[in-house]
Amino acid sequence: MDWLREIFSRCTALFHRRRLDEELHEELESHIESAVEENLARGMTPAQARMAALRLFGGVTQVKESYRTRRDIPLFTSLSRDVLYAIRRLRSSPGFALVVITTLALGIGANTAVFTLVEGFLLRSLPVADPASLYRIGDRNTCCYHGNFESADGDFDLFSYDLYRRFRQAAPEFEQLAAVQAGGGGYTAQYGSAAPRPLRTEFVSGNYFNTLGVGAFVGRPFGDGDDHPGAPPVLVLSYAAWENEFGRDPSIVGATVYVQRHPFTVAGVAPPSFFGDRIASIPADIWMPLSSEIELEGANAAVTQPMTAWLYALGRLRPGVQKGALEAKLSAQLRDWMREWPRFTEHGGTELIPHQHVKLSRAGGGIQKLQQQSGANLRLLMLLASVVLLLACANIASLLLARATTQRINVAVRIALGAARFRIMRQILVESLLLSGAGGLAALGVSWFGARTILALAYPEAHNMPLHAELSWPVLGFALFISVLTGVIFSVTPAWAASHAQPSESLRGVNVASRDRASVPQRTLVILQLAMSLVLISSTFLLTRSLMNLEHKDFGFEAANRYTFEMDLEGAGYTVDRTAGLYRQIEDRLGALPGVKHVSFARYIPLGGNQWGTCVHVLGESDPGREDKCFSDWIRVSAQFLDSIGVPVVRGRGFTAQDGPSAPLVAVVNQAFVKKFFPFGDPIGKHFGREGAKYASQYQIVGVFSDFILTDPRSEARPLFLVPNTQRFTGYTDAEDDAAESSSMFLGSVILEVASNGTDLETPVRKAMVEIDPKLPIFRFVSYDSVMASNFNQERLIARLTLAFGVLSLILASVGLYGVTSYFVARRTSEIGIRMAVGASRSLIVRLVILGAMAQLAVGLALGIPASLLMDRLMARFLFHVSSYDLAMLGAAAMVLAIGAVIAAILPAVRAASLDPVRALRTD
Amino acid sequence: MHMERTDVHQGTLDLMILKTLQSMGALHGYGIARRIEQVSSDALSVNQGTLYPALLRLEQRRWIRSNWGTSGTGRRAKFYSLTRLGEKKVAEEEENWSRIVSTMERFLSPVEED
Repeated sequence: MDWLREIFSRCTALFHRRRLDEELHEELESHIESAVEENLARGMTPAQARMAALRLFGGVTQVKESYRTRRDIPLFTSLSRDVLYAIRRLRSSPGFALVVITTLALGIGANTAVFTLVEGFLLRSLPVADPASLYRIGDRNTCCYHGNFESADGDFDLFSYDLYRRFRQAAPEFEQLAAVQAGGGGYTAQYGSAAPRPLRTEFVSGNYFNTLGVGAFVGRPFGDGDDHPGAPPVLVLSYAAWENEFGRDPSIVGATVYVQRHPFTVAGVAPPSFFGDRIASIPADIWMPLSSEIELEGANAAVTQPMTAWLYALGRLRPGVQKGALEAKLSAQLRDWMREWPRFTEHGGTELIPHQHVKLSRAGGGIQKLQQQSGANLRLLMLLASVVLLLACANIASLLLARATTQRINVAVRIALGAARFRIMRQILVESLLLSGAGGLAALGVSWFGARTILALAYPEAHNMPLHAELSWPVLGFALFISVLTGVIFSVTPAWAASHAQPSESLRGVNVASRDRASVPQRTLVILQLAMSLVLISSTFLLTRSLMNLEHKDFGFEAANRYTFEMDLEGAGYTVDRTAGLYRQIEDRLGALPGVKHVSFARYIPLGGNQWGTCVHVLGESDPGREDKCFSDWIRVSAQFLDSIGVPVVRGRGFTAQDGPSAPLVAVVNQAFVKKFFPFGDPIGKHFGREGAKYASQYQIVGVFSDFILTDPRSEARPLFLVPNTQRFTGYTDAEDDAAESSSMFLGSVILEVASNGTDLETPVRKAMVEIDPKLPIFRFVSYDSVMASNFNQERLIARLTLAFGVLSLILASVGLYGVTSYFVARRTSEIGIRMAVGASRSLIVRLVILGAMAQLAVGLALGIPASLLMDRLMARFLFHVSSYDLAMLGAAAMVLAIGAVIAAILPAVRAASLDPVRALRTD
Repeated sequence: MHMERTDVHQGTLDLMILKTLQSMGALHGYGIARRIEQVSSDALSVNQGTLYPALLRLEQRRWIRSNWGTSGTGRRAKFYSLTRLGEKKVAEEEENWSRIVSTMERFLSPVEED
């Protein structure tokens, strides 16, 4: 117990150090005075008395020292003294401290921000039970409705309901197999007295929640019993939707929500952390059983069409299942299924069937759609961020080396005075750790802010995205570790070297040498920094140029001075017959608004992100065979469509009033269509049809319009035909084809062309629409420019971030060069003094310093240019119409770097030239 | 632990201090030093200063306590006295010593076996 009391006393003594010191001094003084008194009484002289007393006492200082070591906790007091001293030293060179801390913060922060997103995006598992056993049949992201062979290499990953059921029966290796809608669905939902609003929906099989092992937060998830035709329609809300759209209504379970005006009962709300089977920027708000699609889509329902592939299949594998064998088995099932359907066997399809296969892929991280789209981008960012970290560490190393050299005298003096080597090293270590610690703290702020910014830039339309910018602590720790390591190595090593040198050597004259070896590591660092900086700067130029190319590509239509909005006709209960009148009304009302030149309607707008494709059969030609040979996009549009987007008709005519409901069906086609289907001869007057060879006389071509890009901004225009909204084909024998034709009559997108930008169009348009039909919801009123821009969010993000990294690297490299050059000047002060004294002009001195810096720049460029070329090769997939060997870009980047370097070198050069030679000579 | 430069083992110094305080009551540092010198008839060459770390240690363990007071000559000094715990410890340490001494004696003057 004694040791406990001792420790307690020691701890309390920490707080009273000064008072206890005074008391000790007083006590010892008192002791000695008493001894002196006694000696005086014995007859000694005062001087002798004191000497005798002291001799008997022993060394007062030693006693005090040994007293102090046991009075409190010496390690603590000496460490705190080291810390205070380090703080004082750092305060006295604030520039140095600030630069190091900022460098660390930016380097570590940038990395952590990027790696946080990478981890959340690419590496996180779904918040479901046992994600490791979740597998998906299929490994790509084919989307969203297909009816034929899916890829050139035979890979199949989108399935029809019929095929899914077959897999489910044939593969007991799956404990559970669920099906989910591949594409993102959207329906208008209305609850209580609130206005109807658009929500993201997903059709899933009844065993979906069971398969994922997810329960409900309130209520219950639906099950297999809810997923058969005729079952009362139910749905499950996502927690985010319940909070944000339904006001966290506690009575939501069992309440009725109208989806597209059909009543659904809310079965339950999913748990707060559950966001579905994939990471999407707008996750699903509502899950509904597959069979309820029949209720909503009627004859058009994909779930009733055995040939329509629209589902992904994922499930839980039993332990110990051989994946290869299962893949083979499922592939065989696929092929058997295909042989039953003429679409796959006719026109030579039978030869293709043996190549068709499925692959199993892990689904624990979710269906990898977004990841595969964005994963490459993130990896590029990771690479760039790592380079920035390296740059930052190089900078810190260089700064520390410079500081260490100026400290050599300091260290030498302390050694000469008897300081223990260990104490000196410890103090330097403390200083280094303090800097790293401060830098790390600052980095926290940078990374938090950075991650949020990146997310907001990448997914500006994100709503409830299940990706949070929570800091990745392992990454922060790793980056911190790297920088602490750098700090420690580059401060302790030179200190260690200095402490082993003979103090007298150091004291004699540090600045005598005119060419010293100690600056080689620093110059190497700067050279490396310059090289890395060149790589980043040239990447910046390339990516920015690529973005500009993309954004200013000629897409074949005009987007300026155009606006667009969406209306949910089906959700508002419109039938096909009522739509005709509605379109006319809207055209008249909106067309009458001041400044509006054209009003048009379309099922899908160009570069709006969606399209509809079909197989075209030309009258009089033999059957085309496989789908890609007959594929064409198509849109149903109103007559003013082409005018409203500024696309000219180059042959024949566009749609006119004569193309009424009872007139023969017409279509206009684009030049790519003509090239594909009518390579010889005039297409005007020819006939073609869709959904089957027997409909080949469906449409007559009356005009050809100029190509424009409909979906993929990076590719060329594909074959496209337009049909008017005034004509409906009634000759389909197949109910589902007829239903598709019906649903194509709903043109939900409206395009407005105005005479000039700038006026607020939204308010008058909304007002007019409310007057026409207050129950018709209008949403996404935006300028067409922003529609265009949203196609390039990712590219813009990458370009902006690379720019940020490029600027950062330029600053870091310049600061590094500046540091080395000034340090250089400082060390050669006396040499410069000599030179000036014997007649060197100031401009000569300036030239001397700058040449030194330029030499480093030259070597840096020599290293950096091949590195940049290599980097550009790696980046080729991100570049659009920019050659990776673009020497002009490289030259521009080198120029930027050179300017930065010159600026960095000029300041110390000027300082050198303005040295007073007398003072310089006297410097030690 | 920091090694003391003293001819006397740290444990014995402690015991000397304790015994002194036991017999003399409250005493200041100088007084304790003089008393020890007297009792040992100056046979020990102890640097008086080494007393103070020892006093600190004993005080940390609460075997002794200290108070500031005035010495006989009117000088301000710190006086030490035994605590109750210290009294107990003295008895324990004395016993220890006797045991050690008697054991050593048996070694140093072997019983003659006859």
